[in-house]
Amino acid sequence: MKRLAAYSERCVGCESCMLTCSKTWFKEEDKELSRIRVTQGDSGYVINVCNQCGVCIDTCPTLAIGRDAQGVVRIDESKCVGCLMCAGFCPTESMFTADNKEKPFKCIACGICSKICPPEALVLEQD
Amino acid sequence: MDKMRLLARWEYKPVNIYRGYAGRTLYVNISNFSFEERPVSEDMKEKFIGGRGFGLKLLWDAVKDTTKWNDPENEIVISGGPLCGITQYPGSGKCYTVFISPLTEQTYDSNAGGYFGPLLKFSGWDALEIQGKADRDIVVFIDGDNNRVEIYESPFEEVNAVTVTEALHEYFAEDEEDKRNISVVSTGKGAENSYWGCLNMSFYDLRRKTPRLKQAGRGGGGTVFRDKKLAAIVVKKRGIGPSSNNPADLTTLQRVGLKLHKEIRDLDDQQNKMRKVGTPHLNEIMNEYHLLPVHNYKFGQHKDASKIHSKVFERIFTQGIPDGCWYGCSMACAKAADKFELKTGPLKGRKVTVDGPEYETCAGLGSNIGVFDPEWIIEANFYADHYGLDTISLGTGIAFVCECYELGFLNKEITNGLELKFGAKDDIMELIHRMGRGDDEFARIVGLGIHRMKKIFAEKYGAPSDVLENIGMEGQGLEVSEYVPKESVAQWGGYFLTLKGPQHDEAWLIFMDRVNKQLPTFEDKAEALHYFPNFRLWFSLVGLCKLPWNDIEPADNAIKYKGIEAAKVPEHVQNYVDLFNAVTGKKITKEELIIQSERVYNFQRVFQLRLGRGTRKDHNIPLRAIGPVFPDEWEARSDYYDNELKAAGIDPENLSTEEKIKKLQNYRLSQWEQLVDAVYRRRGWNKNGIPTIETLRRLGIDYPEVVEVVKRHLKPEDEWES
Amino acid sequence: MIKVNGEEMEWHPGMTVKDILEAKKFIFPMIGVWINDKPIPRDKFETTVVNDGDDVQVIHMISGG
Repeated sequence: MKRLAAYSERCVGCESCMLTCSKTWFKEEDKELSRIRVTQGDSGYVINVCNQCGVCIDTCPTLAIGRDAQGVVRIDESKCVGCLMCAGFCPTESMFTADNKEKPFKCIACGICSKICPPEALVLEQD
Repeated sequence: MDKMRLLARWEYKPVNIYRGYAGRTLYVNISNFSFEERPVSEDMKEKFIGGRGFGLKLLWDAVKDTTKWNDPENEIVISGGPLCGITQYPGSGKCYTVFISPLTEQTYDSNAGGYFGPLLKFSGWDALEIQGKADRDIVVFIDGDNNRVEIYESPFEEVNAVTVTEALHEYFAEDEEDKRNISVVSTGKGAENSYWGCLNMSFYDLRRKTPRLKQAGRGGGGTVFRDKKLAAIVVKKRGIGPSSNNPADLTTLQRVGLKLHKEIRDLDDQQNKMRKVGTPHLNEIMNEYHLLPVHNYKFGQHKDASKIHSKVFERIFTQGIPDGCWYGCSMACAKAADKFELKTGPLKGRKVTVDGPEYETCAGLGSNIGVFDPEWIIEANFYADHYGLDTISLGTGIAFVCECYELGFLNKEITNGLELKFGAKDDIMELIHRMGRGDDEFARIVGLGIHRMKKIFAEKYGAPSDVLENIGMEGQGLEVSEYVPKESVAQWGGYFLTLKGPQHDEAWLIFMDRVNKQLPTFEDKAEALHYFPNFRLWFSLVGLCKLPWNDIEPADNAIKYKGIEAAKVPEHVQNYVDLFNAVTGKKITKEELIIQSERVYNFQRVFQLRLGRGTRKDHNIPLRAIGPVFPDEWEARSDYYDNELKAAGIDPENLSTEEKIKKLQNYRLSQWEQLVDAVYRRRGWNKNGIPTIETLRRLGIDYPEVVEVVKRHLKPEDEWES
Repeated sequence: MIKVNGEEMEWHPGMTVKDILEAKKFIFPMIGVWINDKPIPRDKFETTVVNDGDDVQVIHMISGG
């Protein structure tokens, strides 16, 4: 299974990942549209990104969520009805919603952010 | 299934849904296969909102004062409401079906989940009105993808819900995945052979690969359906999504919906376990509080209640499936038993998915008839759905029959061989099958309902009328639902001072009244019987399910708010205000929400009056509903009842049990009359339970035809002294 | 003596909120408890001690649909 592994202890809070992600997938630089989120914790930065656990798969009423050939959990937008139960039940709160976006979105382990992360806190891993 | 024979087709222009409304309703006359598009005015939206409100308004215009339930003029009107079909908030797929009821002979409105309400609206219609009677069984198909309505000759030899629904999902779907774009309204032979006909409304379960059935259970809507020779109504609409209602403010819908999903995620397991168990979480609770109806409401507790404890059903229900009956319902209480092998009846041996049982069925087709066998209850539930029988009326009705049998008013000769004692599982199941087949005279009589059974048992079998009146748990012609009301004066009102009969759509006040002791005076009870029916019935106008309102509450609800305020779950009330405004673009407040509902409440009250009911004498209450009738009921809780007598200022010493019963009844009957006065007064009605002209004016429903009905019945002696 | 929903109830030293609920057989999960007008969080029922003379309100939320 492919996933983006996050090493928060290496993160320096530059937010390049968030801007690159939103630019890639939503064509604009906007942290609210990023599928990876960096926030400030008590002792450093905290990276929140989907770990492909798949709990959301069982919450979806239209079977819009499933794993692709590499095990990455993907939403089929043609089936998604925007009920947001996946976002509500995600154990790590890694399914995101945004104003003016009808449907939720999540990391699909494309790896683009990992390529530009200066301290290499993001690593595309294969189990 | 072979290709169905097309009898009529009507094409319509598509519309865009705007702020929750299609802006028009669909009228279909099945006597002459004519169709009409009827516009929805701003006034109609303002005064009637949608859902049950639209249903009542359309029915009012369609019928005469003298229309009976089986006249062609009677209608089946189905409507969701402006919030129906949003995908973000739990419980958003409900619709109401409005009709003149065979049981109560006045309007009835019954709600169901499933996909029918949303798919109907998104096909372009705020309501579906069916009037007339066909000359043969028909299937009405609303094709929202191709913007047309078709009427087919029904191909079904036998109209029973499970087989009809399965066949029609198969027939109209292009493939497996497409089945979720279809919903079927169906009923069964039990609805042809009784007045207890329910309507099933389907949704397709993609994981189980089977249609699921939710019920518009009460009032005999299924009986009207079959009387009109409707075999099924089907709707199909593809492409529903998050903005199908074209809401004014999608962001608020998302914010509020996401908040509720997380609340349910975090708290359901500690609160009511709806996701695991559904409404049967109440089984053991009602038993503990003496509220579980046992043996026709004689008792509120039974030693075998542990056999139908919710943990038994938790094991039976398949866990881990998103069991919402519309998209976005994370309350997910539509539980099912899978691969359940039927042991009796026409589908014996088949392994089926059974929807439920709900609490009401566990109690009605369980404790109330003395059966504590969960598998039996599930099988009875299945056949009730399949035959199109309301499990509540069926349960309470059979409980009445069993008590009559045990009292010796009925015997095997009368019942055609069935020994219908409490707990007689096999014979009771056979009675249900006979109701489904329609081949047994006694089963037909049972299916006419308690109100008519009382007359027939007296006339035909010589049963004593007064006893039957005391133990027959019905009000206004409708069987009581499955909570023991005897020990709560407020719940006497909650059941018996209702618009349509003793159901718990309107009010459920037992805890508030007797356990929390929050309603000490008649005025307190009357205030609760004003607020809660109005609040609870608001859901019927907009297309929402009320369970996510209070079957889950925010973690700080009972900390931030005290007493009755906490019981209102203020944060959730605010959610509903926000949802309404976010979809419609309006700016209502919590107070206006109540007025919206009060308006339709009073319109319906006048409608009942128009049809010859709706006055004080129609608010009847059987003695079993206000206390013990026979000595064994008193003796089961003798300390408690002796204390009740003392609290009433009556000394139980030296009185026989019969004397004590009589004295408590007299006392409680006088309490009942005081309650009725207080409630009528609070509701803005006169002593006879008729809304005053002032009330109609205040609510903006003083239309000439409404005022005209009321004026005919107003008498000066019914006015309150100032 | 303490009062529970207006009715008198025997008190004993060390009596907790949980004890009251068990004695009254209040098994409903959605219950709010206030002692002398102060709310008690549900997760503190087991550890919150009730004092002699306290006025306790036990409120069941309605539910039922």
